[in-house]
Amino acid sequence: MGAIIEAQELVKVFPGGIRAVDGVSFQVEEGEIFGFLGPNGAGKSTTIAMLTTLRRPTGGTARIAGLDVVRDADKVRRVIGNVSQDLAVDDDLTGYENLKLQAGFYRLPRREAEERIEEVLAMVGLTERARDLVETYSGGMRKRLDIACGLLHRPRVLFLDEPTLGLDIQTRREIWDYIRRLREEVGMTIFLTTHYMEEADSLCDRIAIIDRGKIVAIGTPEELKGRVGQEVLEFEFSSGTDEAVAAAVARIKNIPNVREVRRGSGNGYVATVVQGAQVVPALFEAIAGLEVKVGSVSLKRATLDDVFLYYTGRKIREEEGGEGAMRTRMIMRRVRGR
Amino acid sequence: MILRDIYWVFWRELKKLLRQRLHILMAVVQPAVWLALMGNAMSGLTANPVAARMLGTGNYLEFMTPGVMVMTSLFGGVYGGASVLWDRRLGFLNKMLTSPLHRAAIPLGKLLALLVQSLFQVLLIAIIALLLGVHFATGLPGIVFLLLLAGLFGMIMGGISLALAARIKSHETLFAIMNFFTMPLMFTSNALYPTRAMPSWLQKIAAYNPLSFAVTPMRTVATRGWVWGDILPGLAALLVMVVLVVALAVHQFSRSVD
Ligand SMILES: Nc1ncnc2c1ncn2[C@@H]1O[C@H](COP(=O)(O)OP(=O)(O)OP(=O)(O)O)[C@@H](O)[C@H]1O
Ligand SMILES: [Mg+2]
Repeated sequence: MGAIIEAQELVKVFPGGIRAVDGVSFQVEEGEIFGFLGPNGAGKSTTIAMLTTLRRPTGGTARIAGLDVVRDADKVRRVIGNVSQDLAVDDDLTGYENLKLQAGFYRLPRREAEERIEEVLAMVGLTERARDLVETYSGGMRKRLDIACGLLHRPRVLFLDEPTLGLDIQTRREIWDYIRRLREEVGMTIFLTTHYMEEADSLCDRIAIIDRGKIVAIGTPEELKGRVGQEVLEFEFSSGTDEAVAAAVARIKNIPNVREVRRGSGNGYVATVVQGAQVVPALFEAIAGLEVKVGSVSLKRATLDDVFLYYTGRKIREEEGGEGAMRTRMIMRRVRGR
Repeated sequence: MILRDIYWVFWRELKKLLRQRLHILMAVVQPAVWLALMGNAMSGLTANPVAARMLGTGNYLEFMTPGVMVMTSLFGGVYGGASVLWDRRLGFLNKMLTSPLHRAAIPLGKLLALLVQSLFQVLLIAIIALLLGVHFATGLPGIVFLLLLAGLFGMIMGGISLALAARIKSHETLFAIMNFFTMPLMFTSNALYPTRAMPSWLQKIAAYNPLSFAVTPMRTVATRGWVWGDILPGLAALLVMVVLVVALAVHQFSRSVD
């Protein structure tokens, strides 16, 4: 089983000198769900645009199923499906007509097209609304229709740019289920981007964390969490002089299973640890004899949030970026559409 | 293969067009209003024998009808590129560009839809004109000829607009450019008043105005008959321009639309 997506040193520089993608290399195996995880402006969509033949790389090469995305662009387009971030369904057509058009673009024979349209409509739960204008659909329904469009021609590789952005939890879960079923039933390779940590964690076989155009870490969710520490220990001092606290933190850092200690909010500290249950008593032993009091200790499993923070020094702000951006886009559609 | 691709782009445009009830209503009302207003306002003019001689007909409406036809397809074509800008903004253009769809099918399909739209409008104008008592010198074959020429001219404008839309990303810029040409094109042509009534410098411009290329043969056919000497030069010029403009539009879309 060879790599179905191979990217080597991909670079995209936009006019004005913005290095949106800055030397990105990775491989995706056939049948894998591979996630690109990064904050707004990290270069996720730009990477997809190069892999889907939409933009020419400024540097580097990429191959899909062995086909070069620049030289064999026409052939690549037959192999891939692309569900962009933009909710690119046509409001003036019905759901069914959108799919029919898609079948036309991908040159499916008429009979086959009809069968597949029924099939994907059922899969995304839009059979009942298929004859209504998309204009009357909710955001979640549009997204599901767009995904259905991407599935219609059964691509070997499906690109999903922020498939759940701005959707409510329930719809998001449903879409995760569709994505998993695609892999299980059709064996499709899926490349998705997200800035939801939990999504990448629960859905992806492997993840690349991308920040400012560069991949900062790549591996399975477990590996990435393992590198950071499996668990996160948060503790807070309720009393103690600055010197005493500093001494205490220094001792905690020396506990064997503690990977790293960072300053949290207020008097709090965040430590990434392995075998946290044993670290807790060790922490109290370590600070015994110092003039400090621990106010609270809590232990939780590391999430990719922690991983992102660890690798980039910054948090992903899901709410502001994600939902806000989506809403602005939707509003823009509405306003301009009239 | 490319024919099927063109068909699907065309199919989409047509579906969208047919859903825009207001748009269709306007397409019907606008030429009717123009003809009725112009015909009435100018009827006094044709009572003057000098003016009538300049117009080449005793009925201003007869003179005007080909002009209104060409102007209608001019306006239809000029904004043809706007649909590309919409598709780009809503992400639909990217959807087409990442599919195996032949890139040339995008401008060609849209152009075909523009053609159908302007043929429909021009046919309406012909019917309204007939109802208003306009007599077409060459009868039904002449009317078909008028439709085709107006359609051809609409495709030239549509092709330019589409070619620009492949590069220009903002509605404002596209419309500014197209408007910049539309008005001068109209007023330096023989669409609204006869060349013979113009000062000589304007006559020279009017002779080379693409709008006149369409209007002259059409007016000849509508008011005088199949006078080939006055039909062929304009017709030939239009055909050459259509080929060039369509080739340009196709070329623009075949380059990466990066
Ligand atoms: N057409 C363009 N011209 C100039 N700069 C661009 C263009 N498209 C993207 N950029 C810039 O490239 C960078 C990466 O953008 P990209 O859309 O790839 O980010 P992203 O990771 O998809 O972000 P988001 O989560 O917001 O979708 C950003 O700084 C953006 O401003
Ligand atoms: Mg993006």
